[in-house]
Amino acid sequence: MAEPEPLIGIDLGTTNSIVATVQDGQPVVIKNRTGQGLTPSVVAMAKNGKRLVGSIAKRQAITNPQETVYAAKRLIGRKFSSHEVQDSLRALSYEVVAGQHDDLRIRMGGKDLSVPEISAMILQELKADAEAHFGRPVSKAVITVPAYFNDAQRQATKDAGRIAGLDVLRIINEPTAAALAYGFGRTVNGRVAVLDLGGGTFDVSVLDISQGVFDVVGTGGDTYLGGEDWDNRIIEWLVFGFAKEHGIDLRKDRMALQRLKDAAEKAKVELSSVRETGLNLPFICTPPGGGAALHLQATLSRDKLDDLTSDLAERVVGLTTEVLGEAGVRASELKEVILVGGMSRMPKIVEAVRGYFRREPCKGVHPDEVVALGAAIQAHALVQPEHELLLLDVTPQSLGVAIAGGSVRRLIPKNTTVPTSATEVFATSKDFQRVVKIMVLQGEHDLAHQNELLGEFVLTGLREAPRGQVEIDVTFDINAEGIVSVHAKDRETGLRQSITVTASSGLTEEELQRIMDEQRGYLIAARASEELKTRRVELDSLARDVVDALTRARLLPGGGGLAPDVMPRAEQVLEHARAVRAGEDVAALGRACELLTGCLAQLKGPAPGGTGR
Amino acid sequence: MSSQRANQLIEAGLWLRLSGDAQGAQRLFERALELDSTNTRAREYLAAAAGAPSRGAATPFERPPELEPSLGRLAPTDADLPVSPALEGDWGAWAEGQGGPSEAGGKSPPAPVVLREALDGAPADVLELLARDVVIEFDEPVIQTKGDTDEYGIPEGHTQEFGLPVAESELDLLLRGAEDLLELDDHSGAVDLLFKAKGLAPSDIRVESLRARSERMLMARLESKLGDLGRVPAVRLQPDDIIWLNLDHRAGFVLAQIDGSVSYEDLFSLSGMTRLDTARILVQLIDEGVISAG
Repeated sequence: MAEPEPLIGIDLGTTNSIVATVQDGQPVVIKNRTGQGLTPSVVAMAKNGKRLVGSIAKRQAITNPQETVYAAKRLIGRKFSSHEVQDSLRALSYEVVAGQHDDLRIRMGGKDLSVPEISAMILQELKADAEAHFGRPVSKAVITVPAYFNDAQRQATKDAGRIAGLDVLRIINEPTAAALAYGFGRTVNGRVAVLDLGGGTFDVSVLDISQGVFDVVGTGGDTYLGGEDWDNRIIEWLVFGFAKEHGIDLRKDRMALQRLKDAAEKAKVELSSVRETGLNLPFICTPPGGGAALHLQATLSRDKLDDLTSDLAERVVGLTTEVLGEAGVRASELKEVILVGGMSRMPKIVEAVRGYFRREPCKGVHPDEVVALGAAIQAHALVQPEHELLLLDVTPQSLGVAIAGGSVRRLIPKNTTVPTSATEVFATSKDFQRVVKIMVLQGEHDLAHQNELLGEFVLTGLREAPRGQVEIDVTFDINAEGIVSVHAKDRETGLRQSITVTASSGLTEEELQRIMDEQRGYLIAARASEELKTRRVELDSLARDVVDALTRARLLPGGGGLAPDVMPRAEQVLEHARAVRAGEDVAALGRACELLTGCLAQLKGPAPGGTGR
Repeated sequence: MSSQRANQLIEAGLWLRLSGDAQGAQRLFERALELDSTNTRAREYLAAAAGAPSRGAATPFERPPELEPSLGRLAPTDADLPVSPALEGDWGAWAEGQGGPSEAGGKSPPAPVVLREALDGAPADVLELLARDVVIEFDEPVIQTKGDTDEYGIPEGHTQEFGLPVAESELDLLLRGAEDLLELDDHSGAVDLLFKAKGLAPSDIRVESLRARSERMLMARLESKLGDLGRVPAVRLQPDDIIWLNLDHRAGFVLAQIDGSVSYEDLFSLSGMTRLDTARILVQLIDEGVISAG
């Protein structure tokens, strides 16, 4: 029997991403090709024109800031004009421009790329890691997103998956995935808080778990609070110490800053398991006037780090209090508190959370992996119908229409399983009103303008009558694909008008197809480039051997008994190889390799002393 | 003509020596001697080069005698280079106008390239002087019977040989030196000379085409020395030994990236430098035994 197609779960994070699967009934993380579980969510175009993804891209982020895209998740599915994007622009080192549909484009390598394209590069890398792990193609995945992501952001994430060549089986909430990984789908009925402190964001979610249904009752946090803030405090401390000692500001040197960043992150991670660590950065900078390069050597203790970052830990507690307050949940009501994200390894964070909730939080050995593990569990459950943990597709946010007075009438509340349908009767709000405008909104806010406008349409030709006398049926339909249709019907005349709202990432279907074609082209070109590289290495090695053999033959009396045409022929072949090497014709390189191999055999042919074969 | 050509080669060789390419300089001195077997300067420079210990042979595992790392450059410093005994105090001594040590027979030592500005009592640090945009004259060596040379009286902008503007003859000199080096297969030296030539004439097509050619050849040579660029190099020294090396911050950065997981190709991408500069640093680190090729 053929093996079933492998399934993967992906935690597509703001700073790091991770891929997992279920093997022999156990969820496991798939290590990337450098042996790490975490792949930095960073994409770059190196100065040599090479596309970089993951840790390599991250390691050159400071020396190549304008061509390095990080934290694309903060931008995905958002409109260029949104205040979230406009606020982000100030802090980004790469260029973001407006797209044609008020979406946004990121300028990298001289091209304007959509955010799903950037995310797709990360997903492609994870897919390739999974394929290397399984030794066969992988195409089906479950991807996680923050609980607060709206339809557009979820759709954009799905589009990223499509571009990467993945069939996205389902998009699930990160806190839900974390709870699944801890097995809470089976063991807990009640409220659970999930605190996810990652590299760049802090998300707090309150879930209501009941018979395997995960209802997000509250979510919040700070999309600009994470491990990087702790790293920056260490960098500041190091820079200050160095400036005091040598009078040099290391931040002005990009190479030095990159090394400081790498070292700070490493020290922070180490201080979660040891009480003291050394930072050793030899030849960090050359003094402005020249002279010997200077070294940076420092020792950082856990206490010092806690001292440098005490306000950050306080913010974690403050934001948690805020979210619980907004959700109307008391800390004592919670059945469990789950700590997720690499930063929850820090003893100070665990201590702060323990102090606030007055209980020991659930924290696994690898808190940064649990979301991906949960996604893998869900992917596995999708193909095993008997599995109890099958999550249903739900509407992430409520759907409704704007009504008189600027408020919202919700027809479909959030977390409603799809497909679903709801109808409500509305009446005219003005005397002799002939036209009614239906504005379809998504969100939880009571004020219409605070919600996401999915679409609008107008129903005309209403009977002229005093207000309240003309009744209109408004029906919302959401099909299994998540496509929302809204119909409005004048009850008396039967006049109808409708709109179909498909969550959009800002990319049209044509654009998506074009991007997917380009990606296929890129992958083919990348494979050809690899082959070219391999052939060139082979050619170089053979050419070196031929040159050595030729030199030896020249030194031997009478050319070591070689036929008279062997040496001139070898020289010709070498010259030909040199010319071919400069080109990009893989087949020609292959032929040149064959010729060199033939020459080598001839040059090595005669026995020593020139006695013939 | 051959004597004149030989002298030009010697001057180009001195440029190379200053930029740290002792081998390239040596080749040019050899070529000069081939052209003019009576050329004393070429003979002396060559003799000095042959007598000097080879820097490449020094084991990187041996701690240098001084505790402080010396000048933060990968390239050998002027002090490390082979210097003719007759030219002790070369550059510095002459620049300060102190004169060279006298030779038996009453002859002054051959006059080296002299930095005009340095004669006015400027600091003797030649490298510092070179870092500035200094117009340097390449003069014929003059055998003096009396104390000082008198070529300083020549109006600025002219050489004593052709009456051509200094910049032009200097550019030609550098180009000829680079061509000779390319003929001698010394692409590294040629690139250095052409870099300087580009400074003098940024838009000169001859400079650009020669530079592109020599860089391409040099890059191919360096890459072939590195071998398969997919290989992962490893650091051979302990951190305590590394700090005693004589590296600059750029080499320090490249070295810091070598962690047993990144390949040469990755290093080219993440160094933030040109491919050529990165390859040079990597080859130097291999040659000095700091890293293993993988």
